[in-house]
Parts: sequence; C-alpha cells; structure tokens
Amino acid sequence: MLELRHVFCGYDAEDVIRDVSFSVAEGEVLCLLGPNGCGKTTLLKTIAGLIPYQGSIQWLGQEVRSLKRGQLAAGVALMSQISETYFEYSVYDTVMLGRYLHGKKGLLPSRTHEDEVKVKQALEEVELWPQRDQPITQLSGGQLQRVFLARTFVQEPKLILLDEPTNHLDLKYQLELMERLASWSKLPGRCVMGVFHDLNLAMQFAERVVILDQGKVAIQGPTGRVLQDSMIAKVFDVDVLNYMQSSLKKWLPPTEGNERR
Amino acid sequence: MKNNSKLGLMVGFSLLCFLIAACVGSVTIPVQEALRVLANKLFSIPLPSSVEALTQTIVWDLRLARASLSFLVGAALAVSGSVMQSVLRKPLASSYTLGVSSGASLGAAIIIITGWTIPLIGRFTLPLAGLATGLLTVYLAVAVASRVDKGFSGNTIVLTGMVFTLFVNAVLTLVAYFFPNRTRHILLWQMGSFALKDWSYVSVLFPIVVVGLFVLFRYTRELDMLTFGEEQAAVMGVETHKVKWILMSVAAALTGSAVSFAGVIGFIDLISPHVVRRWCGAAHKWVLPMSALFGGSFMVLADVVARTAISPTELPVGAITALLGGPFFLYVYFQKRRRA
Repeated sequence: MLELRHVFCGYDAEDVIRDVSFSVAEGEVLCLLGPNGCGKTTLLKTIAGLIPYQGSIQWLGQEVRSLKRGQLAAGVALMSQISETYFEYSVYDTVMLGRYLHGKKGLLPSRTHEDEVKVKQALEEVELWPQRDQPITQLSGGQLQRVFLARTFVQEPKLILLDEPTNHLDLKYQLELMERLASWSKLPGRCVMGVFHDLNLAMQFAERVVILDQGKVAIQGPTGRVLQDSMIAKVFDVDVLNYMQSSLKKWLPPTEGNERR
Repeated sequence: MKNNSKLGLMVGFSLLCFLIAACVGSVTIPVQEALRVLANKLFSIPLPSSVEALTQTIVWDLRLARASLSFLVGAALAVSGSVMQSVLRKPLASSYTLGVSSGASLGAAIIIITGWTIPLIGRFTLPLAGLATGLLTVYLAVAVASRVDKGFSGNTIVLTGMVFTLFVNAVLTLVAYFFPNRTRHILLWQMGSFALKDWSYVSVLFPIVVVGLFVLFRYTRELDMLTFGEEQAAVMGVETHKVKWILMSVAAALTGSAVSFAGVIGFIDLISPHVVRRWCGAAHKWVLPMSALFGGSFMVLADVVARTAISPTELPVGAITALLGGPFFLYVYFQKRRRA
C-alpha cells in the first residue's frame, strides 16, 4: 500500500533521511525503531506530506507530493506526539475535528448524525465518553493521548502513522491500544506504521521492523529475524536481546535452565 | 446552560445595549418613546403625536446611527481578534500586532496633513486612505513573512508584523514632528471616536462587516484545527497555507475597515475572544458569533459612557474601552480560574 524508494528529506537543505527504501503491505503493522535523532519522526512527517522529499513515496500507487491535503488525509492519518494547547476545547469537540473530511459541505458546513455516532463510539472505546464535556486542558497526559487516538480513528484512514503513541499511557492502555491497532490493521485495505521505543511492544505486535540509524535503513525484515540480527547491538550500542532476557531473569523465580547466576 | 441559550441571551443583551444607547444622553428619552420611534422606522407603525420630531431625530439619526456604527466596529474588531489569536496560536495576538493600526494611522495622517479629498467619495477619503494603508502594511508584513519562512509559522508572522509596526510608527512620528500644527488632529483621530457619524457611515461599513463575518464563519472548523497547530490541521486535510492567507486577509480587512471609520480603538479585539471562550468554550462556531455580539455590545456601552461621562465634552472611546475593559477582563478571567 505504501512504498518508499530512495527517499531523501530533512530540514533547511540538510538531509536527515538518506536513501531510505521500504514498503508497508496491506494488513501489516510495521514498527520503525532506532536511536534518538535517527530521523524516525521526520520520516513519518514526510510520509504524511508535511516535509518535502526527493525520491518517491507512493501511497496506493500515487505520489504523495502530487496529492492534495484532503486526498492524502482521506487515506493517511498521523498521530504525532502531544503538543501543548492553550485553548479549552471539550473532549467531544476535539475528537469531532477528526471528522473534518466527512462532515456536511456547503456554505456553512455542519456535522452529520453519522459523525456524532462515530465520535461517540470512538470515545466509548477509549473510555472517555463520561468525560466528553471536560476541557482537554484539564486532562492528564494519558487521557489526552487517548483523546487524540480517538480523533485519529474517527478520521477513518487506511494507514495510521503513529509517533510514540504509548507515551503517557499506563500498561493497561498500552496493551489495549496495541491490540486494537493490530486488529484494526487486519481489516481489508488497512495498515499501521509506528515509531515505538518499547521493544517488547514491537516484538509482540509488529510483523515487520525497520531500524534506522543516522538516517539510513540499518536492518529491515520480519520482527523475529531483525531482533536477532547482530547489527541491532551496533545500532543501539546495547546488547538488546541479552538486556531483555536478563531483566526478566532478574525478577522471575529460578526454574530449571533459568537459574540466577 | 447550553451554548444555544447563551447565544440567545447575548442577542437579547445586544438589543438591550441599543435601547440604552437610544435613551441615555444629554437628553434622556423615555424607553417607550424610543421603542415607538424604532417601531415607526423599522415597521412603519405610525407615531403618536406625543412624540416630538426632535425626539425622532435624537433617537434615530443621532444615537442609533452612532450605536449601529459602534456595534459594527466592535463586532469586526472582536471577531478579527479571535481569528488572529487562533491562526497565530498566540493568546495576545491581534490584527494590531500585524501593523493595521499603525498603517491606518499613517494613511490618515497623510490625508489630514495634505487635506486631499477624492472628489467622488468626499468625506470618506480619510477612512479609505486609512483602510488602504492599514491593509497594505499587513499584506507587506505577511508577504515578507511567507518569503523568509516557507513554513509560514506564527512566530515569523508576529515578529515581521512587529518590525513593520515599529517602522511605520517611526515614519508617523517623523510626520508629526515636521507638521506640529496638525499633531493634535492626528492624535484625536488615533484615539478613536464615533462623534458626528451618521447612517451613511453605517451603510458603507455594514456590507463589509457582513461579508467578512460570513467568510470567517465558513472557516470555523479550520480555525479549530489550526489552534492545535499547523501540522495537525494539515494531516487532517486542511490546506493550511491557503486557509491562513484567507483568514488573515479577511481579519485584517475587518480591522482595517473598523479602524478607518472610528480611529484606533484597542483592547476589544484582545479581551472579547478571551471572555467569550471562558463562557462558551473554544469551538469557533460559538466563539465567532459570540465575540461579534460581545464586542459590538461592549463598544456600544463604551460609546455611551464616552459621550455621557463628562457631558457635553466627549471622551475618546478608545480610552473608555481600555478603562472599562481592563478590570472587567481581570474579573472574568480570574473568577473562572478560582472556581476551576
């Protein structure tokens, strides 16, 4: 569904992403990993049409740069990291903004009954329907994250791009979100691509992983194979697998073959 | 209370302000007589013989014409303030930040000094020159901002606007310095006043304000999205660059028209959106109409105070809006905060 070929992009004539190529197939959850500053967020924004690029990014066979904002937003949604907001929108109104492309057009555009049904459904799913009239300025970071998730879902895209969506969420909501994204991605004509810091979540839910290092693809492929690749220790400068195994060993009761040294 | 009811209440309050403006002044007119004059003028209901011709002139030709102009100016300023604050994501932004008032003052100063009059439009030469130079300043500021910063960010626009404002103010100071005998006249224009304004001014400003407000109401959802940042608006499908240009142009044109008819009147554009947001939330489908009604009503009341406080001398209405608006704003803002 999404195909990147030899993509270069960045800010102020300096390329942050250099010669990146990979694709995302229908029904897939793809996880983008890499150390801080390797260009993960820049790449997500470029796919969402926010940053000019060289090379080719094709969404459903069409070049992203040739699409109008509305055309791209009808298929691709980006949930970026939470930004501070001064204006006191209610939870309900904030989620309703996601229906921008679906609302009734005309001289004075308005919301439809369908918009209201979808927003209610999305708020119930993120367990914020009782707080619908509360100003978003009074919410906790985790609640705000769930509001923006609900807004992303009511946009009804085909590809959801997520920039560290589990930040601010406690473990329960992290798992629920990932399960929801995984099952959503299996609907016809859908896929998910996200930047995650938590390797456990990536292992559990992503079918494929792309690891970036200094703006280039260092490793890519099925999750199991990538996480066992010897390159991963070099990219993160940490022996990732050994670290994950040893943190489990440290706290689990010793069993046969898993004894504390 | 639901926002629909609050809007209805605000409409009622606005009508009450018009009634106060019609009745209060150097000659007090009884409410019943003022209502009869209104009914006669609006619905051609015959006037009883007890209502004198002078009363009709005072209520209709002097006070209501002036109140209508104040209302239009206040509404235009308040709505354009709301739009600027949301588009630039700066709670302290307004069209003034972009140089409308400085530009308009310079244009007006040139007309005052030279005494030029365009034959076809006569006394409207002064407001027209103010409007033209006010808008020119804003467009130059925005055009420069969009060239130096391809992203067209709020910070660049505000900074460029401030540079243009300072530059135009410096030119204005020089003009005043070289023509000291006109300084008082220029200063009075800058202070703002609705004195001696009749229905002809209303008939020119009315269509401008109505069209401007209609265009802005058309973009309430885009305004909502822009308050979350340009990137978020763009990924939800808003053509941010184009929409920002339209919104800022219309907001600047509204402020420019208001300033050119009444002189520089500050504060209303800053406080109205904040007061209204405290009362009915941040969604622009409520903020814009409520700002228009609040700003308009506030200006009508400020003008009543300006012409009656030390009658027969008139105070500059710009000073009254700040004197009344400041404490009122603090009260509304901090009372709600304490409760929260």
